[in-house]
Amino acid sequence: MKRLDIIRRAGRNLKQAKVRTLLTALAISVGAFTLTLSLAIGAGTREYFAKFLETNVNPQSLFVVADKKLVGFEGGNTGPKEYDPGAANISGSSYKTLGQSDLDKIAANKNISSVQPNYNLEATYFTYQGNSKKFTGQVGMYDKTIRGEAAAGNLPKLGTMIGADDIVVPESYLKALGIKNAKDAIGKTITVHVVQQAQTKTTEELQALYAQGGLDALTAATQGKSQDVSFKISAVAAKPATALSDNVQLNISDTRAQELADFTTQGTSQHKRYIAAIAMVKDGVKPETVKAELEKTGLTVKTARDLQGILFTVVNVVQGIVAGFGILALLASIFGIINTQYISVLERTGQIGLMKALGMSNRAIGRLFRYEAAWIGFLGAILGALGGIGLGTLLNPWISRKMSLGAGSHLLIFQPLPICLLILALVLVAIVAGWFPSRKAARLDPIEALRTE
Amino acid sequence: MIELKEVTKTYGKGDNTFTALDNINLTIPDAAVVAVVGKSGSGKSTLMHIMSGLDRPSEGSVTVNGRNLHDLKKKELDQFRAREISFIFQSFFVQGGDSCYDNVSLPLEIAGVPRSKRQQRVEKALESVELTDKTRQKAKNLSGGQKQRLAIARAIAGQPRILFADEPTGNLDSATGAVVEELLFDYARANKATLVVVTHDQDLAAKCDIQIHVKDGRITEVKQ
Repeated sequence: MKRLDIIRRAGRNLKQAKVRTLLTALAISVGAFTLTLSLAIGAGTREYFAKFLETNVNPQSLFVVADKKLVGFEGGNTGPKEYDPGAANISGSSYKTLGQSDLDKIAANKNISSVQPNYNLEATYFTYQGNSKKFTGQVGMYDKTIRGEAAAGNLPKLGTMIGADDIVVPESYLKALGIKNAKDAIGKTITVHVVQQAQTKTTEELQALYAQGGLDALTAATQGKSQDVSFKISAVAAKPATALSDNVQLNISDTRAQELADFTTQGTSQHKRYIAAIAMVKDGVKPETVKAELEKTGLTVKTARDLQGILFTVVNVVQGIVAGFGILALLASIFGIINTQYISVLERTGQIGLMKALGMSNRAIGRLFRYEAAWIGFLGAILGALGGIGLGTLLNPWISRKMSLGAGSHLLIFQPLPICLLILALVLVAIVAGWFPSRKAARLDPIEALRTE
Repeated sequence: MIELKEVTKTYGKGDNTFTALDNINLTIPDAAVVAVVGKSGSGKSTLMHIMSGLDRPSEGSVTVNGRNLHDLKKKELDQFRAREISFIFQSFFVQGGDSCYDNVSLPLEIAGVPRSKRQQRVEKALESVELTDKTRQKAKNLSGGQKQRLAIARAIAGQPRILFADEPTGNLDSATGAVVEELLFDYARANKATLVVVTHDQDLAAKCDIQIHVKDGRITEVKQ
């Protein structure tokens, strides 16, 4: 019997048991639906991250840290560590930091054009000209390696630092500061209040201070100094369409950032120590080559491409979890197919007997039942994939809005090829599931089967 | 020609052995219309199964159209059944959900007849059993007599040289039964095909050229 004739007959047999076929297919469609979405999430987020990095990160930049825990997935909090006065503590985890010698070491590399440490800035509060309230918020150094977009004012071109006394305010700050129009903010003043940590003094030192300047000197020394630094708003940064998250901070120049960091950490173990640094590789030199050279000196270096790899690892994990649920649903549906097809074989013993009497080979009979299973799998896969695509397409604008992905970016991207391969895979899974019942059908004794009616 | 030599068929082992056929010697010439007559449990159905290659004898040899069925491989036996013989059963075994057309087309598909040739043969077979007007109808909507006519159309569509009919009128009233009998005899005579009717109906048997009486697995009488 020709394959095409068997496939047609298999399809017709299923049509005669529409409800049963549909229910069995629906079980598969749940798995297909979930797997389709997992493919779409993977494709969407990967594309999103790739686009994000491409538009935001200078490919020649290197991210340098002393502690590889900061960039890996080894996790920071692995138990108590021996105290290291130079180490930074973040959420109970201790991290090795970069010192000036490390920065010099990086700068000494002939392929490096510049090194910029990430200053550890902690502002107690800041004020906005004409507003009596004090605000708390993140203050950070303007990142010249990331291309920004100005909602108002002007941002320097990529690779250039803002003016020493300039400050760039994120758009999302405007509302809280009471600024209605971004243009109004340009030229206004923001004053950042920083406090130097109180310094620990020995009893002898305190006594000496008291003896010299009395109670005032003593209070001044133990309370910690504070400083107000004023900046002029040069630009309001718009949120790029492809931003990973709202990177909301007040951006100040490198010179001021260094001054503030030095001031606030004065006298502490963190003085002139940095969690990370950004090094720029000279144009025409592969960042990977420089990375290898720097890593020989014991530093941990990530290129822009590595960063993409890290992000993709996260994507893979998320995608894997979603796919896991899909596979579980699929496993359950396999038993559905087996069950349905077994019942079908039992119901149709007479038919099987007749077909055998008419000379249909056992192989062809087995094939008939496997193709029926394949049709069920195909139907379920199509239903699930279409359901996934339909729901995803409907929800995409909403998700983009909720996650502030920006216009034109979608979390779910449905690519035809992987979905076609998924459908094919599900058909194969269905055929495998149909193998057990089909074997039973193929082995039926025709004489016994013909006696049943 | 169907030739059985010392055919014995037993089921079970040891003390539970049941002899369905006991040393059968039989020759059915080409184009003969034969009735195998016997009561229920006499072994007449087993005899039909063995003659058609559905079952293998425990001992002895079966030669059909010059070929010893024992020598054929499973695949060759399937092909032999698909091309040279066909069946009609008491309970029709038509596929209710399929259209009449698809029912008749089944043996042609099994025999590997190309699609282009199938249509003509199916239509011709349906015409000869006067079911042309039911071609696209589902078989389950037919009456009992129509179903058996459909089964005959299915059996003759492939132009078999031997036709086995197992109690073909057993489930039918005498009027519709007579129509079915007529169709079978007409086919056999028009195509010079061998027709083997297994029945306990003496009237039907009397209309055949040869009557083979079977009792307890043995042939008791052969009337020409």
